[in-house]
Amino acid sequence: MITPRSASAVTTCGFTLLAVALVAATVHLATPDYAGIRAGRIDAGYLESNNCRKCHEGNYATWHATFHRTMTQEANPKSVLGDFERDNTITYQGVRAEMVRENGRYWMKLTGVDGKKQQLEIGRTVGSRRIQQYLTKNGDQWARLPIAYDLVQRRWMHLNGSFFYPDGSDYKQHLTEWNSNCVFCHNVKAQPHLDWTDRSWNTEVAELGIACGACHGPAGEHAQHALSPVTRYRWHMKDPTARSLAVTNPAKLDSDRSAMVCGHCHGQRLPEPRDRIHTMMSDGDPYDAGKNLLEFYRPVQREDKIGSFSFASRFWQDGSPRLTAYEYQGMTRSKCFRAGKPGQRITCISCHEMHGGDPRGQLTEKMKTNAACTQCHQQFSTPVQLVEHTKHSAESSGSLCYNCHMPSIVYGVMSAHRTHDITIPRPDETVRFDKPNACNLCHLDWSVNRAIVASRRLWPNAFIDSKIGDRRFDEPEGQRALFAGDAVMRGLTAAAMTPANDVNGPLLLEAMQDRYPIVRYFAANALAAQYPAMPKPDYLASPEKRNAALQGWYSLFMPEQLRAAKEAHQRLSVGRVEVDVEVGE
Amino acid sequence: MICQGWISLAAWIVFGLLIEGLIGFRSPVLLDDSVRREMFRLAHAHGTLLNLVLIAAAICARLDLIGIGRVTSLGLRAAVVLLPVGFLLAGLWHFKDDPGIAIFLVPLGAVLLLGSAFQIGYSAFRR
Repeated sequence: MITPRSASAVTTCGFTLLAVALVAATVHLATPDYAGIRAGRIDAGYLESNNCRKCHEGNYATWHATFHRTMTQEANPKSVLGDFERDNTITYQGVRAEMVRENGRYWMKLTGVDGKKQQLEIGRTVGSRRIQQYLTKNGDQWARLPIAYDLVQRRWMHLNGSFFYPDGSDYKQHLTEWNSNCVFCHNVKAQPHLDWTDRSWNTEVAELGIACGACHGPAGEHAQHALSPVTRYRWHMKDPTARSLAVTNPAKLDSDRSAMVCGHCHGQRLPEPRDRIHTMMSDGDPYDAGKNLLEFYRPVQREDKIGSFSFASRFWQDGSPRLTAYEYQGMTRSKCFRAGKPGQRITCISCHEMHGGDPRGQLTEKMKTNAACTQCHQQFSTPVQLVEHTKHSAESSGSLCYNCHMPSIVYGVMSAHRTHDITIPRPDETVRFDKPNACNLCHLDWSVNRAIVASRRLWPNAFIDSKIGDRRFDEPEGQRALFAGDAVMRGLTAAAMTPANDVNGPLLLEAMQDRYPIVRYFAANALAAQYPAMPKPDYLASPEKRNAALQGWYSLFMPEQLRAAKEAHQRLSVGRVEVDVEVGE
Repeated sequence: MICQGWISLAAWIVFGLLIEGLIGFRSPVLLDDSVRREMFRLAHAHGTLLNLVLIAAAICARLDLIGIGRVTSLGLRAAVVLLPVGFLLAGLWHFKDDPGIAIFLVPLGAVLLLGSAFQIGYSAFRR
C-alpha cells in the first residue's frame, strides 16, 4: 500500500533525478567538442590558446604577457604599434613612404624616385618588441613590406637599416614572401599549402603568433578528455589506470628533446633530407613539440650551402653563430652541453622561464645573475671564489659570468645579443677567427695583444698556448674592430661602445660615415646615450643631411682627436673585406 | 536546525571577515591564488546564504507554516554544511588549475539541497 509519505518521497526523488538529468543534458550540450578538430590535416588536434585558457588560466596569463604571443597579428588598432598619424613618413634612397590609417584600414603609400606611386594595404603585423614589420596581401601571398617601425627609437625605418647591406641596395630587396618563410617560426604549425602545379598558395596556420601549440603540440585529445572532471581528478590523483593524455611539457622532456622545442625556431635549420622541402611547402611543417627535431631538420652550420648560397656569413670563422635565431647551434656547441650526459644536460629552460620572468628575454631576475651558472658551477658561488676565478672585483661587470662566457657578439633585430655558445673567453680567438672576444668588448682601449698577454699572466694554465697576433692587433681593439672588421663586427663594436666616452666619441663620429646603415645605427645610439642634449644623428638620412647634423657634434671633441679618428678610419679600413648578411630569422 | 543555523552563520561571518582581512592587507595567500580566491568566495557566499535559509526554514517549521520531516531536515542540514565546506576545503588544498578533491562534496550537497527544497515545497503545496 502506498502511503502519502512514501508517495511524497518518490515524487521528491523523481523530481531530483529529473532536475539532475536536465542539468547534465544542458551541460553536455554546452560542452565543446575538441576531438577530431582539424582532422585529416597536418595540424590535427592543435587547439587555439583560448581553449587552453579554460583550465590553465595562470599559464595562459604568463604566455599572454610574452612577445611570443604578438609575433604575428591581424592589423588592428590594438596590434599596430607604428605611428600612422603624426611622424608617419620616411624618405630613404629617394623613395618616400607614408603610413596612414584610413577608415580603420592601414596603408603604406610609396612614392618612387620617378614619382610613381604605389599604395599597399597592411593586413598583418610581425613583431612587437624591438621592431614591428608589416605584411601586405598580394593575391594569395603575403609579403613583408620594406618599411618597419622601430619600437625602441620610436621611428620608421627602412629594413636596410636592420640588415647588413650598404646604402644603395635595391629599395625592395628585403621584400620577403611570408608564405614560404616567416610563416614557419612566427606561428603555430605552419602549412604553406603550396600547389606545385599552378604555384598557388592557400597558407594556413593552427594559430597566428607563437602560442601554446608551438611548445606543447597538439592538445585536442587531451582537452576532450579533460572536459570530464572525473578524468581530471584521476589525473590529479595520479591514478595509474587513467589513460595518460598529457600534452608535451618541455619541462618534463629529456633535456635534449626540450632544447629541440626551442631549437625548432631558435636554431635555423634545413629540411632533412633536403627534398622534404616539397612536402613541407605543400602539407606543412612536420615537427610537433616533443618529437625528435633531427628526424626532420638539420640545424644550419657555417659550411652549409643551398646551391650557390652559403650560410658562412652568418657564423664567425670558428663556426659560432653571429646572428640570433641560431641559439640552438650556439648552446649545442658549448662545453656545458657537450660535456653533459645526453638527456640530462643544460637546456634552454635551465635558464629561461617561459611562464614568468621578464618577457624581454624570458629570464627571471635570479637568472639574470650569476645564479644561472652557479646552478652547476657551485665552486664560484662565494665572492672570494668569484674574485679568485675572475680576477675582477666581485661587484664589477667583469665578475658577471654572462659578460665573459656569453658576451654580446651576436646581432639580431637592431640589438647586440649574448651568444649562446658558452665558452671560455679567449682574446686570441680574435686573431685566429676574426671574432670579437669578451675581454676587448669591455677593454675597448686595449689591443688584442695586450689582452692576450694579460690573460696569460692572470690565467697561465688556461692561456699558456695562446699566441699574440701580428701588428694589426697592437691597435686598440675598439678602433681596429670598428674600422677594420666587417659590418657585423663594426656594428657590434659600436654597440659595445654604448654609451660613448671622450675616447671613443670621435671614433663613433667617424663610424657615422660607414656605408652600412646598421653600423651607423649603433654609433648614433652610443653617441646619443652619452650626450642626450645633442640632436641625435639620423642613421638613415642622406650623406648630406647626416654630415650637416654631425657638424654640431664635432665641437664636442678636440680637433686632434677627430683628426686621429679620421686617420685611423682611413688606415684601418683599407683592404677590409665586406660581407653582406641577410638576417634570416 | 535553528541552533545549527545561527552558529554556522556566525562561523561563516568570521570566515568573511578573514577574507576581507586577507584582501585588505593584500595577502598573497589569497590574492595570488585565483583558484583559492574563487573557492573561498563561493564558500562564504554559500555558507552565509544557506544558513539564513536554514534559519528561515526552522522558523517556518516552528510557526507550523511548513512541515519538515526527519529525513528532509537531515538532508537540508547536511547540504548546508557540505556545500560551503566543499568549496572551503577545495580552496584550501587544491591542484594547480582545479579545485581540490573536496569539490566533490559540492554536487553531493547540491543534490541534497535540491531534494530538501522540493520536499518542503511539495509538502507545503499538499497542505
